Amino acid sequence: MIVEGSVLPVRRANVDTDQIIPARYLTRIDADGMGEHLFEGMPDGPHLLAQHPGASIVVAAENFGCGSSREHAAWALLGRGFKAVIAPSFARIFEENAYTNALVPIVVPAAVAEELMSAQHIVIDVAAETLRADGGEPVSFSLDPLRKQFVLGGGFLQFLNAKIPEIRSWEAAR
Amino acid sequence: MPRSLFDKVWDAHVVEELPGGNALVFMDLIVAHEITTPPGAIAIERDFDDRLYDPRRIVAMIDHVSPAKDSATALQGQTVRNWAKRQGIVFHDIGDNGICHVIVPERGYIGPGMTACCGDSHTCTLGAFGAFALGIGTTAQAGAMLAGCLILQRPKVMRVEVTGELQAGATAKDLALTVIATIGFRGGTGYVLEYTGSAIRALTMEQRMTLCNMAIEAGATTGMIAADATTAAYLAATPNTPAFSLDVQADPDAEYAKTVTIDGSAVRPMVSWGTNPGECSPIDGIVPFDAPAESLAYMDLKPGRAMATIAIDQAFIGSCTNSRISDLRAAAEVFRGRKVTVPTIVTPGSQVVRRQAEREGLHDIFQDAGALWTHSSCGPCLGMSMGVLAPGMRCVSSSNRNFPGRMGDGGRVHLAAPVVVAASAILGRIASPAELPAVRETVLA
Repeated sequence: MIVEGSVLPVRRANVDTDQIIPARYLTRIDADGMGEHLFEGMPDGPHLLAQHPGASIVVAAENFGCGSSREHAAWALLGRGFKAVIAPSFARIFEENAYTNALVPIVVPAAVAEELMSAQHIVIDVAAETLRADGGEPVSFSLDPLRKQFVLGGGFLQFLNAKIPEIRSWEAAR
Repeated sequence: MPRSLFDKVWDAHVVEELPGGNALVFMDLIVAHEITTPPGAIAIERDFDDRLYDPRRIVAMIDHVSPAKDSATALQGQTVRNWAKRQGIVFHDIGDNGICHVIVPERGYIGPGMTACCGDSHTCTLGAFGAFALGIGTTAQAGAMLAGCLILQRPKVMRVEVTGELQAGATAKDLALTVIATIGFRGGTGYVLEYTGSAIRALTMEQRMTLCNMAIEAGATTGMIAADATTAAYLAATPNTPAFSLDVQADPDAEYAKTVTIDGSAVRPMVSWGTNPGECSPIDGIVPFDAPAESLAYMDLKPGRAMATIAIDQAFIGSCTNSRISDLRAAAEVFRGRKVTVPTIVTPGSQVVRRQAEREGLHDIFQDAGALWTHSSCGPCLGMSMGVLAPGMRCVSSSNRNFPGRMGDGGRVHLAAPVVVAASAILGRIASPAELPAVRETVLA
């Protein structure tokens, strides 16, 4: 699985999920319609998006996706055409939601993230866990080995569904 | 091997270890509300014949927007309402509801040693009962509803020992903000915070809930406090007292990945000045000189500004952090005999809290002071309804988040304890109750 595209550099640290998708848009019973409101809660967010038309990879600062548990943050990024988020660190719930939805969450050292913010084009080999910016040297990263399968092939709920007999016998023996 | 409180609860719920440090962790309780549950419930209906692992382990309610504010939120509510009905899930509808993190404890759905999850980050509140309770996304919640389990990375454990005891004027909210300022706004990421020490033991359950509620604001997976006689007394008074024991305690020689010690006696009333909950100062302090320019630009503040000189446009008492009866009683003592000078909203955390407050006459005190007394809701905490801010408006709030835009696009939020919110509402600026002139006694002729 190859993910490639141009970069949206998000230089603010601690961009919480309210900034990614404000609560006033959490009024649907499905995952649709979030993309058009992406980053509306972030100071200068809409302006930043307009400056980087067609970007499909977010390169962010520390602690991206902190705050609210809303999976709508991942849906909003996907709905706007983003396929991966690269940052020095993620908040736990956002990272879990990203994996579940095949929005590739990539952790790199802060200095690497800083460099990638000015890259023109990034190519990510998800299976091989490497990325290249503007044809440069490959940078390796590591994904959660279990959740990687949900990025590559989906099937999060199916995985759990298949575990039910085992879970039921665990519970019976509890 | 000696184990922490978290270790014991976790180990008792691991169904299977999975690759990469993950585990299949059984959930005793799944809390479901109208904002985050519908897409998951619909996915299960569509792809898994509407089959749930065990509907008796789910508690559902109308929580965030109560009652619906428009057709879209009405559809969210109706989706959860119909789903709960056909699945036989306990459901708290408007009139009998409240913020999930308030009603789950008050109804006795959570107890020591349990695991719980909800598509809501402040589920960590329930850790006050010695439970492992955490916020998750919609799909993870759907997985727990379908299969009874979450897939989780085992977090590390940080012991947060709070020595001494809170002094008069310092509240659990001030302790929560102090913890975040001490370990750092993202210092808890990857950890469970296990609170111990004399100052913790002395807290009431409502104070413990306020403290654990803000564990997520340090990035932590959750916060936990071992159950004791205080916990048992609280649970015994709930309508659905769960079967529980106080046996789940940390071993005395348990090892922690990290230990932080805070002097509880030194905790002072705190107010945030920035755009995350770690950016706060004592109320008699100043905006620090090393404050990030980005935060100050958003908040329209300059370094060195005395906190108690910042004028406000609105005051809000409510949210899953500080909307319980003890919070309202404390605020009422400040409001009693005084008048607010800015728009002020007081929102109880549940209808049970509301009725209790009215039995005690607190609603008269709020309304005599000129505040708006509402029914329970998440309200303006997340900028959704009932007091959303306009750009540039500045609100002092007893809630938990001051991120840009949190309470409304362009709105500015200062987090504080309910008593500080009340004093600020009266003086029209950030203020400590200690600054208020005494109320003149009415002399009867």
